[in-house]
Amino acid sequence: MSFDAANLLPILPEIAILITASLVLILDLYLKDQDKGLNHSITLIGLVIAIGLTGAVGGGDAQVFFDGNLIRDPMSDLLKGAILIVSVLTFIYARPWLQDRGMLVGEFYVLGLLAVLGMLIMVSANGFLTLYLGLELQALALYALVAFDRDSSTGAEAAMKYFVLGALGSGLLLYGVSMIYGATGSIEFAPVAAAVAEQGISNKVLVFGIAFLVIGIGFKFGAVPFHMWVPDVYEGGPTPAVLILSSAPKIAAFALAVRMLVDGLHTLHPDWQGMLVILAVLSMGLGNLVAIAQSNIKRMLAYSTISHVGFIFLGLLAGSEQGFAAAMFYTIVYAVMSVGAFGILLILSRQGFDAERLEDLKGLNDRDAWYAAMMALIMFSMAGVPPTVGFMAKLLVLEAVVRIDMLWLALVAVFFSIIGAFYYLRVIKFIYFDKPADDAPALLTSSGVRFAMSLNGLALLALGLFPAALLSVCQAAF
Amino acid sequence: MENVYLTIVLAPLLGAIAAGFFGARLGRRGAHRATIAGVAVSAVLSLWVLARFIWGEATVFNGPVYTWLVSDGMRFEVGFLVDKLTAVMMATVTFVSLMVHLYTIGYMADDEHNWPHGALSGKNSYQRFFSYISLFTFSMLMLVMSNNFMQLFFGWEAVGLVSYLLIGFWSTRESAVFANLKAFLVNRVGDFGFILGIAAVGMYFGSMDYAEVFAKAPELADEQVAIFGGVSLMTLIGILLFIGAMGKSAQVPLHVWLPDSMEGPTPISALIHAATMVTAGVFMVARMSPLYELSETALSFILIVGASTAFFMGLIGLVQNDIKRVVAYSTLSQLGYMVTALGASAYAAGIFHLMTHAFFKALLFLAAGSVIIAMHHKQDISHMGGLRKYLPITWLTALIGSLALIGFPGFSGFFSKDAIIEAVGHSQLFGAGYATVLLTVGVFVTALYSFRMYFLVFHGRERMDEHTRHHLHESPWVVTVPLVLLAIPSVFIGWFAVEPMLIGDWWTTGDWSPIVVAHEHDTLHHLREHWHGQAAFVEHGMHALPFYLAMAGLALAALLWWVLHAWNPRIDELLQVFGGPVTRILQDKYGFDDFNQRFLAGGSRNLGRMFWITGDRTLIDGGMVNGSARTVGRLALRFRQLQTGYLYHYAIAMIIGLVGLLTIFVTL
Amino acid sequence: MAEKLIFYILAVITLWASVMVITRKNPVHSVLFLVLAFVTSAGLWVLLEAEFLGIVLILVYVGAVMVLFLFVVMMLDIDLATIRAGFVQNLPLAGLIAAIMAVEILLIVGPGNFGLDAFPKPEPLGAEVSNTRELGLLLYSVYIYPVEIAAVILLLAIVAAIRLTLRRRPDTKFIDPAQQVRVRKGPDRVRLVKMAAEDVAPVVDKGDAQ
Repeated sequence: MSFDAANLLPILPEIAILITASLVLILDLYLKDQDKGLNHSITLIGLVIAIGLTGAVGGGDAQVFFDGNLIRDPMSDLLKGAILIVSVLTFIYARPWLQDRGMLVGEFYVLGLLAVLGMLIMVSANGFLTLYLGLELQALALYALVAFDRDSSTGAEAAMKYFVLGALGSGLLLYGVSMIYGATGSIEFAPVAAAVAEQGISNKVLVFGIAFLVIGIGFKFGAVPFHMWVPDVYEGGPTPAVLILSSAPKIAAFALAVRMLVDGLHTLHPDWQGMLVILAVLSMGLGNLVAIAQSNIKRMLAYSTISHVGFIFLGLLAGSEQGFAAAMFYTIVYAVMSVGAFGILLILSRQGFDAERLEDLKGLNDRDAWYAAMMALIMFSMAGVPPTVGFMAKLLVLEAVVRIDMLWLALVAVFFSIIGAFYYLRVIKFIYFDKPADDAPALLTSSGVRFAMSLNGLALLALGLFPAALLSVCQAAF
Repeated sequence: MENVYLTIVLAPLLGAIAAGFFGARLGRRGAHRATIAGVAVSAVLSLWVLARFIWGEATVFNGPVYTWLVSDGMRFEVGFLVDKLTAVMMATVTFVSLMVHLYTIGYMADDEHNWPHGALSGKNSYQRFFSYISLFTFSMLMLVMSNNFMQLFFGWEAVGLVSYLLIGFWSTRESAVFANLKAFLVNRVGDFGFILGIAAVGMYFGSMDYAEVFAKAPELADEQVAIFGGVSLMTLIGILLFIGAMGKSAQVPLHVWLPDSMEGPTPISALIHAATMVTAGVFMVARMSPLYELSETALSFILIVGASTAFFMGLIGLVQNDIKRVVAYSTLSQLGYMVTALGASAYAAGIFHLMTHAFFKALLFLAAGSVIIAMHHKQDISHMGGLRKYLPITWLTALIGSLALIGFPGFSGFFSKDAIIEAVGHSQLFGAGYATVLLTVGVFVTALYSFRMYFLVFHGRERMDEHTRHHLHESPWVVTVPLVLLAIPSVFIGWFAVEPMLIGDWWTTGDWSPIVVAHEHDTLHHLREHWHGQAAFVEHGMHALPFYLAMAGLALAALLWWVLHAWNPRIDELLQVFGGPVTRILQDKYGFDDFNQRFLAGGSRNLGRMFWITGDRTLIDGGMVNGSARTVGRLALRFRQLQTGYLYHYAIAMIIGLVGLLTIFVTL
Repeated sequence: MAEKLIFYILAVITLWASVMVITRKNPVHSVLFLVLAFVTSAGLWVLLEAEFLGIVLILVYVGAVMVLFLFVVMMLDIDLATIRAGFVQNLPLAGLIAAIMAVEILLIVGPGNFGLDAFPKPEPLGAEVSNTRELGLLLYSVYIYPVEIAAVILLLAIVAAIRLTLRRRPDTKFIDPAQQVRVRKGPDRVRLVKMAAEDVAPVVDKGDAQ
């Protein structure tokens, strides 16, 4: 029960983020309106330091700290790095939008950083308790971010829906955790796994609990039928909040799923596999179908998220190391794609105007050919067109599913992704083959945003051409 | 060494990127400096690598650089296999490429005149051109340095792509666009065979790696494949891969694209369509010698195709009046010689001829380009003549190139060509007799068309118009220096290289032999047995039939197009009348183009139209695509209505989901 | 025996109060029933020898949270009619789902899985063990990491609440009592202005002029 300072080592990235958040919170009090950009700089510096610390303390085999509450393993290293890098991009993209609307205030950065902190905690949680607390930290920050624009009634409505449904989801998740605790007598993953292995799959209480856990996971990911919040929140929330919401939290949700289902309950794979199959098929089907009927691009991307979640579940449900690695690859790639897509929407927005309709993308090529090319890359990647990385990601999860002799599922997935390709390609049609609206001004962006977006878009191409680097890291995590 | 090889490959790529993406900013000077620097680096390093192999210091490098993908146990990698064969190719490619880069500065100097006024694609075309040729160098190096089939295919397609881009470089000319499309389509036919061959290798060997495949080849030598009533696996693979080579190396009947490719700027005709890319097929077959040695059928096929190309394409060269096309047909014919050598298992001779040919043919092309510059981009040899005194350097180097081409004793072409004829003469394969006759007579044809062009261009009456004559002058140094630098190896490389490459055991020393020849196929051993040094070989060559034939061709050419032509320029018309139907057949190029146009292109167009109307438009578009799109659209609208916006609907949906899961997985 | 009796009394009251919470028409009544449910639950904690949790439940939930809640509910003008509008209409589906759910939960969370065989009655630890101390020891050693995270969550809640509610509204006409108090009689309330007499032309009545 004594406390060893060595415990603090693996949470140095988390500590860095917390310190950054506190620093911004205090400093913001003394900043004049025109100096608020400093918040931004500090946040980025903090994130970069956290990336460095993640690299410094990472590596090597899994180690457990804090009396079993925290684990540091290859998976947590990789996912933390991915979350932090994606977060850097989100903050860079968000800044001009906030500045134009007078919202470049410390609270945005504090909330964003605390959300990131929550995700980091989830990623390296080694027990249900830590996992749940990280989840709540992240979720609370996200609720607040969705309602961040106090004068927007749609934002408030979206936040309200998100909050209530989120509370419901958390409640169900907790109920499931209590069942697992009841059946195994522990809230730490390793003892739970040991107890489950001993009891076998005869214990109905465990299956009962898993159903609730799967719902919690499904809600966090936004899988059908627990997806209802996704379109409304994406549409109603301010775009920077959606940008944060749609990217890194998916990585955290992946960690949530893997920690609970794989670290804790791998023995019960046959049970949760069936549940994930249902969610995956429904998500891919509904997501892709409904996305077609959308005219609001944020809503379209929301349904696209839902369909991608279906694909991520394909890798998870395979239950093999190769499947987990594929799902992890897919999740990280998805986060990069999503952050890029919403980043483009932010670039298209300007003072008093939010790019939300598909028509707002019309003639992007004539307005800025480079951003048009980046958006095209992102869309091709989302549609899964080679040689972008989206293709690789889809291929890997499909391979995982085929390997466990669920060919029918792979065929269903391919079928729906073909349907899905339609709405991505429609975006490209708008970008390249339509004329811009007459009043569309030229895009003015800072070189930082341009650099980040170029990096973001080209990464999709580079990862598609050379997937081995990322893939081998993903494979090493399992 | 890995870093050296990486540098060799990547330096041209960096140059290409710099000139391609930042060309506008770098300016013309910056672009050509960047690309030339890149190619120069890899040329110097390649020569160094070759030198180390010659002096026996180097060891074979075979290893992956980057693993792209592992699927089902098959590794897809980027890797290098650098042995003597590769080193020879690397040195040849980078040296010729460097010369062409230099030459291009002069040739493309006033490229803006080649574009219609204000054409968008004419902007920065100079930089773009440099970017393309550097990119080509990169692709070609990837091809020759590959240690696996996948990268080979990448390089294969990449050089094809760059070739396509460069043939159609002057994209505002309809003929150029037609030519590049033709090149692309014909190459697709070849590539189809090629990729089937690679797939067969992947399927039966389970690996893409050369070394693994070659090691496993003897085990599978007797494997039969149940298609066409049973073929040996090696024959199938050999012929499929060779179909790829036929496309790339322009062998009958897939040769039709090469003459048309002369629509591209002359530097690339020299680099891509004479010296390097078209020899990729020859290189590939030599590289695959461990596989080809296991199938006599495939070798016979190669032998017959090669010999036919060598002879019949040479004949067409006799009736061409476009200076570049004459050289192009001569390239086809020479490629035929190389391929025939491969068919006779004289891979070393094929590669040797590839190397000598690269130098003298690049030289001839660049000389032709120099003439074209002087003639203000007019290419018709019937309107030239007497250029000797205006273009002394070009004249001399072109003479050297022509002598090398006809295999005049002592020049580089002599050694390689005589070796090939000798080797084919000793081959026991089916079709070897046919090939020997064609190749030997081909020497006469070669001399005839080469010197026809030479005399018509440099000697005799000056037939150009007054304005052109007035402006005739020797080309600038960036043009003449590469000519001189290429003329040197055209004369001497044969003398120096013949011993290690053909006679000695240079290829086979060391633990890895790039060229494998089965004992019973070893057609070069006669040459080896009767070898008494270069001088003796030259002396012997003076008394052999090919020499007499070449001299006869030269003499006839001199008589017809120097003496008689000077007397009366209408001698050509007279010849045509005498030649009668033969001339017409030759001018129609045996009707390959017409056949393709009418039956293949027309036929497939009609077939396509039929499929389009019945299959695509009514069945697929009407029934499936639009039908399913309508269904999907309707479904989408229906499902969309599920999203009501009411919070309690959402909550109840979640609960229903929960109850569903519980019912299915817990209660049932 | 007495313990058992107390348990059943408390349990029955808890359940009854919970049902009342969701069925009362007046939201104030609902809140009060909720308070009752909390109090009886606290009693159940105490029965389990978890005195600390019982007291905290009363102090925090009843003493702070629920009182706040009560204020909010009383101050808001809640239109009951609209809230209940869809109740009957949705009742069949909701009732069906609730019934299925209840059956399924009972099947699992029943004596079969959670009976005394699976979870034997814990032995009382005796008076010398202070569960407050034990809890504290655990919280600040084994569970220090979760506790710290919880602290961050509270910080976040403060930041979020302030961000979402604190706003300057120039258009609302609110009164600042402090400012009212500070007003001084002399200079602030009445200002005497000395003006020069103005030379105003007499209004001429048109009627008089005639």
